[in-house]
Amino acid sequence: MTVPKEYIYLDNAATSLPKPRGVAEAVAGAIGRAGNPGRSGHALSIGSARDLFAARERLAELFGFRDSARFVFTENATGALNRAIKGLLRPGDHVVTTSVEHNSVMRPLRRLEGAGVSVTVVPADPTGTVAAAEVVAAIRKETRLVAVTHASNVSGAIQPVEAIVRAAKARGVFTLIDAAQTAGAVPIDLSALPVDMLAASGHKGLLGPQGTGFLFVREGVPLVPLVEGGTGSRSEDDHQPDFYPDCLESGTPNSVGIAGLSVALAWLLKKGVASVRSKEVALISELLEGMRQIRGVIVYGPEDPAKRGCALSFNVGGADPGEVGRRLEREAGILSRAGLHCSPNAHRTLGTFPQGTVRVSPGPFTTRKEIRACLSALRGIAPG
Amino acid sequence: MGRSESPEVVLIFRGTHQVLSAEKALKVGGVAIRLIPVPRRLTSDCGLAVRLEEQSLPKAREMLAAVPIVPASAHRLLSSGEYEEVSF
Ligand SMILES: Cc1ncc(COP(=O)(O)O)c(C=O)c1O
Repeated sequence: MTVPKEYIYLDNAATSLPKPRGVAEAVAGAIGRAGNPGRSGHALSIGSARDLFAARERLAELFGFRDSARFVFTENATGALNRAIKGLLRPGDHVVTTSVEHNSVMRPLRRLEGAGVSVTVVPADPTGTVAAAEVVAAIRKETRLVAVTHASNVSGAIQPVEAIVRAAKARGVFTLIDAAQTAGAVPIDLSALPVDMLAASGHKGLLGPQGTGFLFVREGVPLVPLVEGGTGSRSEDDHQPDFYPDCLESGTPNSVGIAGLSVALAWLLKKGVASVRSKEVALISELLEGMRQIRGVIVYGPEDPAKRGCALSFNVGGADPGEVGRRLEREAGILSRAGLHCSPNAHRTLGTFPQGTVRVSPGPFTTRKEIRACLSALRGIAPG
Repeated sequence: MGRSESPEVVLIFRGTHQVLSAEKALKVGGVAIRLIPVPRRLTSDCGLAVRLEEQSLPKAREMLAAVPIVPASAHRLLSSGEYEEVSF
């Protein structure tokens, strides 16, 4: 599977393209034979349940956690974040988050704020990075949750999640990491990082199809299901089951998409996330280096590529980011994403609200040649 | 399996994921099993159960304890066609 050859795809932070070999074939294969997993005892129902099981086992292996039952499939990272946030917080609770969160964290929190949950938003520095000490200092006695993104989808800044998680845990506060930008792209080891919940998309760094995502929930987190319904288990009981993953997975899942995700996960396991990471750091370094040398180009986020994920935001002088994005596409076939990236607060933090930025984001299949083509197109657009 | 000397035992689990986890562990231990729809006499659940021979129970206990997985219940099929709950 390749991206149409007239394009250079640099929008992997939105969704990854291309997918590894075999992903599309797995989806096509599953659509012809996916019975309803775990609902019936027949061969095609069991086959579909096995697809889900295999994908879950691969997720557990990739994230270093022994019990795959704690990985709940969702429709995307948004579905996972909503299940975590709304499943845990109750009126009277306090939550600490940051000024670089995506709207899939902020909007559920703002809604709960109207229902008696108080929210503290800890500001990030001008590179888009929060200080762990400031997040920890915002914890109060009624704080129930600290929710923080692993890497910003705007500045790319990797947040000090390890320090935050450990400090919050020491104070008895639950933690949630939005790993939408890092899962599959930056190594995450859940046997070493004691985070309570971790949400991610299946269709970004995990290289699976759209319509897939997951929520990891560690033992001991009293999460109330956001959605109840049929699970194929305990049908005689009209109460929601209390065991994982069934308690959080009601209704027929996206078995077809998950069959594709499973193949993508196998690819990542074989390749190794650390090796994907070092390749992407090299690409980002080259982009940063090259952009710094183009007069008029302003790059946001940390200077050190090791402190960033794959999203790289910039502006060209005072030009409208939308116009720069259109020119990149028209003149060089480069597909980027301009605007606010569903994260208005992150742009306020960088000082790029409301005009936004242009964002380019390489992936594991991006080549150095493509990076050089992007830099050369930018040289043509910049006023010089 | 089926018409063998050793009586059949059916293991009931909590959900499909646990059934498939048990299947994986039992296969690793070389225990011959089959996935079957949960017998209606046992529960009205529409899920899956694991069927094995009673003589495999010690090995099955060992393999499942190592994961660990605890079945919801275990049942021996009697010649009358009834099931008798057995400890696991
Ligand atoms: C940081 C961050 N969180 C959450 C999301 C939401 O992901 P999804 O579109 O899979 O729901 C995204 C991507 O859009 C993101 O970049």
